[in-house]
Amino acid sequence: MISTILFYIGAVLIFIGALCDLFGALGLLRFPNFFVRLHAATVGTIGGAVVPLIGVALVALGSDFLGNIRYVIAGSSFVTAIIILIVAPTASHALAYAAHKSKAVKWEDKVCDHLEGMQK
Amino acid sequence: MSLENVFIWLIFISVPIYLLAFILYSIRLIEGPTVFDSVLAVDCLSFDLAAFIAILAVYFKSAFLASSAIILALWAFLLDLYLAKYFLRKEVGT
Repeated sequence: MISTILFYIGAVLIFIGALCDLFGALGLLRFPNFFVRLHAATVGTIGGAVVPLIGVALVALGSDFLGNIRYVIAGSSFVTAIIILIVAPTASHALAYAAHKSKAVKWEDKVCDHLEGMQK
Repeated sequence: MSLENVFIWLIFISVPIYLLAFILYSIRLIEGPTVFDSVLAVDCLSFDLAAFIAILAVYFKSAFLASSAIILALWAFLLDLYLAKYFLRKEVGT
């Protein structure tokens, strides 16, 4: 009974992750410049990779047709979810800092830029 | 309806959405105006490919596929840090 509940919660999480992945890809394709695209990229990584990995862990714990392999799959996908949860904001933050500091990205219609006077 | 059939229906629904998202990421990867857009697209593509590998590991009942997703996620992180280090200091290393 509890395994069936775990399986259906995991299936819903996988479907939500697929939708977040599609919306992140659409935003990454349609947004005007690099610093706006970072928001869509964070939707695509956190909503599109961490949520389905936790869903896969719950599905693998709840499915009886896998045998003893299910503990291996559940553990490794949960560890991958935690690693991506820590690593993806760090990577996008470092990328944005390097793009602003090296002046490689030119963008127009800037509203405010608090780092502008701090360039060396 | 057993749980395995429910999982196969879930695969049939959600895998085309993932493939469409991969195609859109690949378009941004090819036509990105700067290097940072391409690297951001590679970043998203690698993280989502890790989740896709975990789904395929349940479908193929294989334990080795699931453990290879950790290496893929850490590799994307390493690519971002190397690119940021190169554009800040104009060198990679020490």
